[in-house]
Amino acid sequence: MFALLETVHALGLLSCFALLGTSRIGACIRWLSFQGILFGLVPLIVHQGGLGWRAALLAGGNIALKGIGFPLLLLRLRARAETNREVEPFVSFVMSILFGIFALGLSVWLTSELKPALHQAPFVMLDSSIFLILVGLFLIISRRNALMQVIGYLVLENGIFVFGVITVVGTPLLVELGVLLDAFVGVFVMGIAIYHINREFGSIEVDRLSALKG
Amino acid sequence: MLAEQSILLMLAVAVAGAALCLSLPRPRQVLTTIVAVSAVEMAFAINIWAAVLAGPGSVTAAEQWFYIDAFSAFHIVVLVLVFLLSSAFAGVYFTSEAAHGFMISVARRFGALWLGSLAAMLLVLMSNNLGIMWVGMEATTLLSAFLISLYPTRLSLEAMWKYLIICSIGIAFAFMGTLLAAASIQSGGIVEADALLWTHLASPEAHLDPILMKFAFVFVLVGYGTKAGLAPIHSWLPDAHSQAPAPVSAMFSGFLLNTALYCVMRFVPPAQHALGPNFANGLLIVFGTLSILVAAGFIVFQRDAKRLLAYHSVEHMGIITLGYGLGPLGAFAALFHTLNHSVCKSLAFFAVGRLGQRFGSHEMHTISGALRADHLWGIALLVSLLALIGVAPFSIFMSEYQLLRAAAGTGAWLALALFLIASGVVFVSALRHLIDMAFGDPKAHEPPAREGKLAVPIVVLAVGLLLVLGLWMPLSLSQAIASAAAVLAG
Repeated sequence: MFALLETVHALGLLSCFALLGTSRIGACIRWLSFQGILFGLVPLIVHQGGLGWRAALLAGGNIALKGIGFPLLLLRLRARAETNREVEPFVSFVMSILFGIFALGLSVWLTSELKPALHQAPFVMLDSSIFLILVGLFLIISRRNALMQVIGYLVLENGIFVFGVITVVGTPLLVELGVLLDAFVGVFVMGIAIYHINREFGSIEVDRLSALKG
Repeated sequence: MLAEQSILLMLAVAVAGAALCLSLPRPRQVLTTIVAVSAVEMAFAINIWAAVLAGPGSVTAAEQWFYIDAFSAFHIVVLVLVFLLSSAFAGVYFTSEAAHGFMISVARRFGALWLGSLAAMLLVLMSNNLGIMWVGMEATTLLSAFLISLYPTRLSLEAMWKYLIICSIGIAFAFMGTLLAAASIQSGGIVEADALLWTHLASPEAHLDPILMKFAFVFVLVGYGTKAGLAPIHSWLPDAHSQAPAPVSAMFSGFLLNTALYCVMRFVPPAQHALGPNFANGLLIVFGTLSILVAAGFIVFQRDAKRLLAYHSVEHMGIITLGYGLGPLGAFAALFHTLNHSVCKSLAFFAVGRLGQRFGSHEMHTISGALRADHLWGIALLVSLLALIGVAPFSIFMSEYQLLRAAAGTGAWLALALFLIASGVVFVSALRHLIDMAFGDPKAHEPPAREGKLAVPIVVLAVGLLLVLGLWMPLSLSQAIASAAAVLAG
């Protein structure tokens, strides 16, 4: 089990750094899809048949939504808004990669702080989840394009999903499904919002949204 | 009727009403439906409240998934009261917009999202499971986002996007907090499936890991605090409140913020069991005082009436949070203040919304001489703003006075001093704005339009409540609030 988790961890880090350093939005959406499928597998690896159909349902739902559904929705939105690139993010791509390295250190440190209290959670997954949350937050803050902000939100969501899977073993199914439903509706609502913003402003660069102050 | 069935019926009626609104053929019918649904919900809410207070202190339904004690019952009643007032006002407000595009498609969307938000907030207040509570809270964000941009203009879309992104991040943090709280119980030996149940987490027998609980409370406070509009994470609030249609602003300010704060407070008893009283209370005092100070600073420079009210919301959420941090006496004051603020702020948004329609803008310099130009809403504006800044004999003065006594009683002198200074600043600057708006020279405008039938009852009811509760607190209300405050003491 741990060897597999190490692999997931490594590939997860790779996808995060790819998201931090890529300007083409289409490529970012594909990395996001890869990440969704990758971390959707975690419940299956962690529980190894212990929770049977529940783990399968959870993994299946996540992979279907985050690996396939959301990326397709985002690709359609990208086509409609006719944006291909994050042109000039608020923080440059080189600095973003440097942030990634810093965040990696921070997540390892936080994990070692939290680990004694969460003794049953595998170290690498705890590390992954905190790193995903940090990278997701950073993408939301540092990118101009509304689609990239949604991607950041989904990276954050992935991190929280992993955290939930490894820390709280017996979460009721209803709660898990509710969380998944909220993520679904959330992305859907953001999609409609982007559609309206694009129609009204002729662009989905959020630095145009700056009339309200004070 | 049994309280247990009332719980399920309340949710069902709200959801059914939302679905019904989607199929109605006329805007008028949508507006009538939301009032009728709110009135029915009021009957259920009072029934539940009475059952909780008369019985063993709590009502559960659906195998412990729903759990209502005095604390949540109080919040449910205030929620439904705000919804009843705001729904009635929505009729008054949107009827006069009928010419400007309150078409059936907009009306249907409004009705469905409005009652959908009500259902989501009820779910938050009724859930025993903290995970479901979170799901409900996230649902309120998603449902209410399109209420802000009911008319998609550039400004309302900007406000809505900020609201969506900032509150989604906040709510994500709250989920981390919820997970950490659930994880903290596992060393205890309670069955894992119950780890998210509030009744288990808050019971004194639960053994909670102090380190995890500390992290959990900080995450929850910051996460739900974003939604509750606590400084310094309030930045979405003035934009959303100022751009939304007036009834929506009233609902946001009057109760959505309280719902988020309610979620924070649910984590206080477990935090106190695990960490002693000082940790949670200290953080609440710091965030509360900071919100009051930041809001006071912004109130001085406001030019837009709705943004002014929005910053008043930050201030009053700060006051309520500060109250919760000051022990049992403070919690009593905070709960009483919740009721007063919800009624008062709704009335203020109604008045500003209606006057804004008359004067064609929410800029404070265009609204002048409101008292002479429009008697009803002019009086409503005057009363609600005077009450908001804490003038006696209105009830907000009483709850703030109780809060001062609580602060003095617990020796929180610094918070007390800062609160008084900020209140002074708010008083002076808001009074200046108010005098111009209420007593200035009325400019030439179209004559008063005919108000809806419900306009006068709304104003009379709200002003009456503020005045009566300021002069005399019924014993039964005082006992109800005391038992709600007792829930927080564990």
